[in-house]
Formats: sequence, structure tokens, C-alpha cells
Amino acid sequence: MSKPLRIALTKGRLEKDTIGLLEKSGFDCTAVREKGRKLILPIKDINAEVVLAKANDVITYVEHGVCDIGIVGKDTIMEMSGKFFEMVDLGFGRCRFALAVKKGTDFYAGYGVKTIATKYPNITRNYFESKGMDVDIVKIEGSVELAPLLELSNGIVDIVETGTTLKENGLEVIEDIAPISARLIVNTVSMKLRQKEIENLIKIIEENLQSC
Amino acid sequence: MKINDLITPEGTKDLLFNECITRQNIENKIHKIFKSGGYSELITPCIEFYDVFTHNSSHFSQEKLFKLMDCKGRILVLRPDNTVPIARIVATRLKDAVLPMRLYYNQCVFNMAPSLKGKSAQVVQTGIELIGSSSKMADLEVISTAINVLSSCGNGDYSLEIGDIRFFQELVRKLKISDEEKETIRNYIKAKNYPALNDFLDNIGDNQVIQALKRLPGLFGGEEVFEKASQLFSDEKIDTILTDLKELYNKISKIAGKGKITVDLGMVNKTDYYTGVIIRGYLEGYGEEVLSGGRYDKLIADFGYDIPATGFAVNVDAVMSVEMKKNSVTDKNIDAIIYAENGFEIEALHTADKLRQEGSTAELSLFDTIEETIAYAKAKNIAKIIKVNEIVTEVE
Repeated sequence: MSKPLRIALTKGRLEKDTIGLLEKSGFDCTAVREKGRKLILPIKDINAEVVLAKANDVITYVEHGVCDIGIVGKDTIMEMSGKFFEMVDLGFGRCRFALAVKKGTDFYAGYGVKTIATKYPNITRNYFESKGMDVDIVKIEGSVELAPLLELSNGIVDIVETGTTLKENGLEVIEDIAPISARLIVNTVSMKLRQKEIENLIKIIEENLQSC
Repeated sequence: MKINDLITPEGTKDLLFNECITRQNIENKIHKIFKSGGYSELITPCIEFYDVFTHNSSHFSQEKLFKLMDCKGRILVLRPDNTVPIARIVATRLKDAVLPMRLYYNQCVFNMAPSLKGKSAQVVQTGIELIGSSSKMADLEVISTAINVLSSCGNGDYSLEIGDIRFFQELVRKLKISDEEKETIRNYIKAKNYPALNDFLDNIGDNQVIQALKRLPGLFGGEEVFEKASQLFSDEKIDTILTDLKELYNKISKIAGKGKITVDLGMVNKTDYYTGVIIRGYLEGYGEEVLSGGRYDKLIADFGYDIPATGFAVNVDAVMSVEMKKNSVTDKNIDAIIYAENGFEIEALHTADKLRQEGSTAELSLFDTIEETIAYAKAKNIAKIIKVNEIVTEVE
């Protein structure tokens, strides 16, 4: 038997949705559900195995070709970029990037250069560059909502799902930047050298997506 | 305080012993293929003027170039590409040379690598340029050379992909959209990003061209691709492109054998000097292409000499990383060490030279005593120890 197809899966919420999708597609994912501390797990019925990784690492593994396929959010793809094929919009994990400020403040008022706090400096830079606007970007690792409250920044760029966290902290979305959902990405060489296997898998997944 | 004096810059590395041998072996076998095909070597400077790389058909993005200044304040770059400097030479010093010209090179290219991604900033490329012919035979020659190179690398498990950039260019030309929009479409097709491509094209409208572009990322695989492509869109130009490419595909499939050659009409590379047939080669065990090239009929015209050309480059470092996994070559042990007793140094030199002329490798002992020499020979696995005084004797 040839080398198993390696699928890198983003740990956490996307993991559950993806496993659900794979099971619906008729693959036995018991090993992944009962994973314990293992990080590489076989999928029965097809010659494949799942690697559980953090979102950024999914892209790294796929780019280097040590994993053939990856399941990762569009947010990570936009922030990291890189060379791979982005084949399918899986539809789940839906949310958006947005610019939010303290409720009632006018973000664009005055001539001063604005400061933006974010976990996603590249997306923030690209967004404001496309508007032809200079901003200072401060990278924050934890709760970004704190930054405007502590008056470190004029606004934040972050993932917004329902907006509850923002509302509870007195912030509001003033601009949507981009929609986000989970994507299936494929290494460029794997796509060519293992075309049939990967196309079959994608076909099965797409069929079961539509019936969602 | 110095802090960077013990390390190399990110994206670069030192090569030691067996790595050097592996690289040399790869270069030698590839160059043998090039030379036997009538190709001659060129060496261009590492440093070039920035202007060389900023012509219309070869735009290299500033962010990726290593830049320096010369003593007059002009901007210099470490060459990011080998084909463009060769185009410069062809249009200047080789302007009166007999055509076609067959050239090859083996030298580094430099591109800033993104931080912490494990990518190299300095990559050795070797490749050929076949200049002054737009014939189908020229394309065939270059591609068959690429096949010979790929099949000699790694364990012979390779795949070569062909496409034609004109298929995309012709289609997109029929849409009344701006160059930026064309570029967006190209990027989505390159990334096989179906979701974004579909959304973007839906906003432009709906006609046969749009439908064809939507299917373009999926137009790769074996012979069936031609059938699929011809159903998507048909006019005189597109039909000719497809017929020619199919003819080429059939020919090279005969050379390489079934399954080694694939077609990808959605291959729309970034280095945009390509104007026709394009190729990419893959080796099992490496996550990116190891060979890439194609026809570039407009590039040399940027330097004032309008002649067609085609060629390809092999990423020697990539081939090396595949071959290093396969089997590690090691430095050969030295055959003999010569120890001279006091006053017999010249005789020792003669003895060493004699052995070397016979084809052995011989080191001179730099130690004061024969005991130290023996210990050293043992540590370095040197088989023969030779002591020179009035006579030459082999020590056990």
C-alpha cells in the first residue's frame, strides 16, 4: 500500500466540525475521537491519517509537503499566506474580520495617525494599505478588546462571530473587512503526484457538504 | 558586543563534506547532460544593477530583493534570477553570435525568504537557455532535456507537467476588465482557489469565457484534459494552442513513458516573462517544484534584441535535499599518511607525490613522532602509514 494521505487538521472547533463531516462522508474516525494524547491518527476505510496541529502549523506542514491536505480557517490563510492550493470552502467555522472601536467614537476624526491593536498584524496592514491609510499596529496576544478600553489603541481588528464580547465591553463594529470560513488546502506537489486520491476525497467531501 | 559572529544569516547555510560531494555529483551529472547537448556555460556576476530586473516583462518585487549601493549611489541587487542576466548578455555581447545559441549556467539566486518558514534565501540553480528559435523542435529539445535531468535525479520518481500560458491569456483577453482584475483572476487560478474565483467571476458577468475560466484550475491531469478544454471554449487561436500542446504532450509521453507527464492549463506562473509553453518538474519527497521553465519570447526584447527563447532552471538545493535522504555519500578515507624522520622531508614529499600520481590520496604527517602519527591515522581510518628515512617503509 502506498504512503497514507496525510491530513492536517486545526485543533479545536474546526476539528469537531471536520470530524463530523468526515464521518458523514462515511469514514470511520473512531481513532480521532478517542485520540488521547496521540497526534497522528489513522482513518479507517481510506488510506489516510490525521495530524492534529495549531492553525498556523497546518499551513506550514502543507506548504512544506509533509502533509498533503490541510483544514484551516480563512483567517489563518489571510494572515500567513503562502504557496498551496485553496480548493474548497467548507462553509463551517463561519465568522468575519471587522474593525471595531469604542461605542460612539469617530475612528476617522482628526489628523493623528491611528493605532490599531490586533492579533492579525498582516491582515490589518493589508487592509489599511488598501485604503491608503497609515496606521500604527500593535500586536496583542490575548483579549484584544482591552486595548481600546485601556486607551492603548483607537480601534481593533479582530474576528467577530456574534459580537457579544464586543457589546459587553462597550465596543462596536464599524467596518467589515472580510468573511471567514474553514478551507480545505492542498500541497501543490501532492495535488499533482496524488491527483486521483485527492480528487476522490474532495469529491466525497463536497457531496456531503451540499447535503449539510 | 558582537552577537552574530558565530551564525549564518537566516535562509543561508554552510555545507560540509558529504553535502558538498552530493551537490557536486548532482551538478556534474546534470552538466554532463547539458554539455553533451551542445550547451556552453556562462557565469554572470552575483551583483547586478537593480534596473536589470525592473523591465515590463520581468517584474521582481522590491521586498524580495537584497539591495546594495555602489560608490555612485546607484542601486545594486544580488541577482534574484538567472535568466534575466543571460538575456542581458545575449542582447549585448552575444548580439552577433550565430543562432540558435545553447547556454547553461550554475549559480546562486538570492531572494529574501520570509522569516521562520524554513525557506532558503540563497538557492543554487542550474539550467539551460535555448536562444533564437521559436520552433516546436526547440520546445521539444528543452523538455526532453528536462526529462533527462529529472530522471537522473532522486530515485527517478518524477513527474513533469506542461501547460501553455497563452490559453489563460487568450481567454482573459476576451473580457473587458482592467489589468488589476486580470491579475486577481490569475492569482485565484494559480492558487486553485475555487471559492474566491467563482465569487469574483460571478460579479463580472456570465458568458462562455467566464464559465471556461471557472473551470481552468481543474484543467490538469492526463490526456483527458485536452478533451475537457476544447469543450470549454473554441476559436481559432485557442484550438491551435491546444492542438500544439497535445502534439507536444504525445511526443514527450513517448520519451518519458506513461504517467510521468501531466498537463496543467491552470498553471499561470508569477515570473511573468513566459509567453508560451511552460513546464514544471516534481520529485517524490520534495514539497515544491524542483524544475521550472518555459518559453519567453519577449524578455530579450526588453534589452533591445527581439529574439525568441526557451529554457528551464533546476533547483539544485531541492534535488540535494531529496538525494541526501536517499543515501548519504561520505568522504572517502585517505589512502596513506607519510611520516618523515628529521632531515628526510624532501624524500617524504617525493614519496607522497609518487603515490598521488598513482591515483592514491596521501597526507603528510605533521606530527613530531611516529606514535602520534599512528594514533591520528587510526582516528581518521587511514589504512597505510609510511615512514621515510634512508628507506621508505610501511608501518603496521
